[in-house]
Amino acid sequence: MPDLPELNPVVHGRLRLALLSLLSGVEEAEFTWLRAKTEATDGNLGAQMLKLEEAGYVAVEKKFVLRKPKTLYRITATGLQALTEYVQALKQLLGPAIDT
Amino acid sequence: MQDHITEQELKERLSLIESMIAEGRRNTESWGWTFVLWGAAYYLALAWSAWGHSAWAWPVTVLIAVMVTVVVASLKGGNHPQTTLGRAIGSIWIALGISMFLLFLALGLSGRLTDRHLFVAVVSAILGMANGASALILRWKVQLACAVVWWVAAVATCFGRDAQSLVVFLVAIFLCQIAFGIYGLIAEAQVRKRRSPVHA
Repeated sequence: MPDLPELNPVVHGRLRLALLSLLSGVEEAEFTWLRAKTEATDGNLGAQMLKLEEAGYVAVEKKFVLRKPKTLYRITATGLQALTEYVQALKQLLGPAIDT
Repeated sequence: MQDHITEQELKERLSLIESMIAEGRRNTESWGWTFVLWGAAYYLALAWSAWGHSAWAWPVTVLIAVMVTVVVASLKGGNHPQTTLGRAIGSIWIALGISMFLLFLALGLSGRLTDRHLFVAVVSAILGMANGASALILRWKVQLACAVVWWVAAVATCFGRDAQSLVVFLVAIFLCQIAFGIYGLIAEAQVRKRRSPVHA
């Protein structure tokens, strides 16, 4: 019997998974857009983004536009790879149950 | 870690990934208002050039419409994410705006903007090109229909009389700017209603 794959705990968190998935569909996104899409609180969102940043899955850029601070996030190649591997692991774990 | 994870939870995670990727790629930007604004600007420029007989009617109206578009867009869409799709569509309309502004400014100032048929044909063909390109990228049949209307207007105006050419242009503006813009605004409002939250 083949070994079952491990699910990456950093990716598996529900909000972190949602954030990585959102970022995989865009070039870059603002903190406020991610907050609106997930309806997470500022504190929770900031904490989860920090975990993703520490894992090297997202890159952050802070800048001022018209004197207003903007925090922009983009998924890194490592983050995209981690998300892809997570999806593959999920599919492997679900096996035939994936279509039911 | 997956010893305690149920099959239901795994499926739910997969579903979350799919819905979030789709949400990120969905064009949530609101652009219906720009079509209405530019439709009104075309009507204004037409009226000004017809009754005021001014060569400045089109360049000035277009310049004001550009400024209003930039200001309103920056106020409305502060936190929209940048997507390749959004950049591709935006590039088409920015290039169209620059081309039209330069072309009609030069034609107006040089006094060569005298043939209404040619003017309507060029404007309609350019708008048909932009709507067609956008429609093909977005696979949006309603916008493709707008492109067809502009192309028909471009061809029809070459063969009609002055008054007929003007009527063709006015109808095309109404259908492809005003009506299409209002349709876009309604569609965008429906999309906003369907948004669903994600909790940790």
